Amino acid sequence: MACVNPVPKLYRSVIEDVIEGVRDLFAEEGVEEQVLKDLKQLWETKVLQSKATEDFFRNSIHSPVFTLQLPNSLHQTLQSSTASLVIPAGRPLPSFTTAELNTSNSSASFTFPGYPIHVPAGVTLQTASGHLYKVNVPIMVTQTSGRASILHPIQQVFQQLGQPSVIQSSVPQLNPCSLHATAEKPKRMETVLQQPTILHSGTVDRKHLENATSDILAPPGNEREIMSEALLSQPESSQYIRLPGVVFPPQVSQTHLHGEPVLGVAGSMTQNLNGGPLSTGRQGAQHQHMSDIQLRVLKNRMFGCGSVKQPRNTEEPSSLPVSEKDSNSQMDLSIQVTDDDINEIIQIDGTGDTSSNDEIGSTRDVEENEFLGIIDAGDLKVLEEEADSISNEDSTANSSDNEDPQIDVVEEDPLNSGDDVSEQDVPDLFDTDNVIVCQYDKIHRSKNKWKFYLKDGVMCFGGRDYVFAKAIGDAEW
Amino acid sequence: MAYQLYRNTTLGNSLQESLDELIQSQQITPQLALQVLLQFDKAINSALAQRVRNRVNFRFSLNTYRFCDNVWTFVLNDVEFREVTELIKVDKVKIVACDGKNTGSNTTE
Repeated sequence: MACVNPVPKLYRSVIEDVIEGVRDLFAEEGVEEQVLKDLKQLWETKVLQSKATEDFFRNSIHSPVFTLQLPNSLHQTLQSSTASLVIPAGRPLPSFTTAELNTSNSSASFTFPGYPIHVPAGVTLQTASGHLYKVNVPIMVTQTSGRASILHPIQQVFQQLGQPSVIQSSVPQLNPCSLHATAEKPKRMETVLQQPTILHSGTVDRKHLENATSDILAPPGNEREIMSEALLSQPESSQYIRLPGVVFPPQVSQTHLHGEPVLGVAGSMTQNLNGGPLSTGRQGAQHQHMSDIQLRVLKNRMFGCGSVKQPRNTEEPSSLPVSEKDSNSQMDLSIQVTDDDINEIIQIDGTGDTSSNDEIGSTRDVEENEFLGIIDAGDLKVLEEEADSISNEDSTANSSDNEDPQIDVVEEDPLNSGDDVSEQDVPDLFDTDNVIVCQYDKIHRSKNKWKFYLKDGVMCFGGRDYVFAKAIGDAEW
Repeated sequence: MAYQLYRNTTLGNSLQESLDELIQSQQITPQLALQVLLQFDKAINSALAQRVRNRVNFRFSLNTYRFCDNVWTFVLNDVEFREVTELIKVDKVKIVACDGKNTGSNTTE
């Protein structure tokens, strides 16, 4: 199918062109070449992590599941023979570059072509579903038809690993298996494999895993605990692979992560990696220090996914980022989930969040004054209910000041109520995530019929990017 | 010079963020960052003009329109973008369009 989305290639070519173009500029300024490389890294990382580039490596919605086998050569802490992690594979287009892989900030999103792929350390893998995997240790990713097979290695890992190898599993949105393994290397890269149904401790049954093929294994609440422990205990630098064994159903991960690529427990893990529950996707190559301890914990626990755990998960990651950042100290398995941590860590990605408007009252005041002018206190409350609750403070404060001039216009409230609605829409109307930036050849209007002749545009819908050379549209106003 | 229009795209925003990080870490000067952005403008404009060859049709209902400084800004509702390969439906879309009839004209800020 014409599935090859031109956007990724286009973006890559643009990035290349720009970097080449500024290379001379950098040289003139006396800036080191390394800075230019850093710029490129940062840029590519952000682009790769954005949802817009999900298509980079995902041509199809369904991505095959592949197993990620961690070589025994995994770090000293990781002594298990191999841990197979199932990673939903997207398209076959491993596009990571060695340069990227080797850098600390390396991040690569790739889709598995179905054949075993050896992923060198320092690579961040992003599955088709958008899950971000950071690989600190060289891993071999192979595609397996059955999910059950995935479990085996994991169990083995759990069993054998007494080390801090922790594999996180999170459930990808689309793929039941998203293996998120984090192995930490001196490079600070971690491999995070998300496996939705990884059961730790060999005792965990494959049954669970198998049953959970589409979702996550059933293991009871231990999962959460394990995860939290796993998350909390983060050893530093020593290489370890974290076997999260935590399997989260897609639901879990999604809810947990606010839509960031990393979902589920693993997501929380990755969050930790990124230092923020939600930022995993963005930061990609965040370094996390995972503690060794988790294996122990994991062994003792069954990993399972349950929606119930979700709340825990949210808590866990939040606490983890804090601890992780400090990582060099190993943390015990104690789960320290505090709402405060969560509140501090969980960041609402939406820039349109008006929760901070209290402090930035001026902006809100302006908007509110617009309707305050024609709204009395009673109507204001109604509007407030419709609007953010935050505005209440400002509006109430303003309403008292505006009461006098409002007296005359109070009567107009019912008349202008319709206008109020549209007025409210205006500020919000232009704050949308779906934006098209383009050039127009011709804009034609006939009465209320509009015709658009656009060209060279970049579209962004729900985070996903599209481009067009020409666009023709018909509209009615 | 090319339109700075495309800075508010995923690619452009990520570049700006990266540049800001480097500026904060004092690795580059703001002036240099500006030069990079200008270079980006040229690159993206030429890339879009030359490398993109697909067409999209769309139908929608127009909510608002604005034309100021030769820049059209529309807000559309219930838009349906139809490309050869796929159909995309969006509830609300904002279109910002600069004059493309004369590519020599720039809307530099």
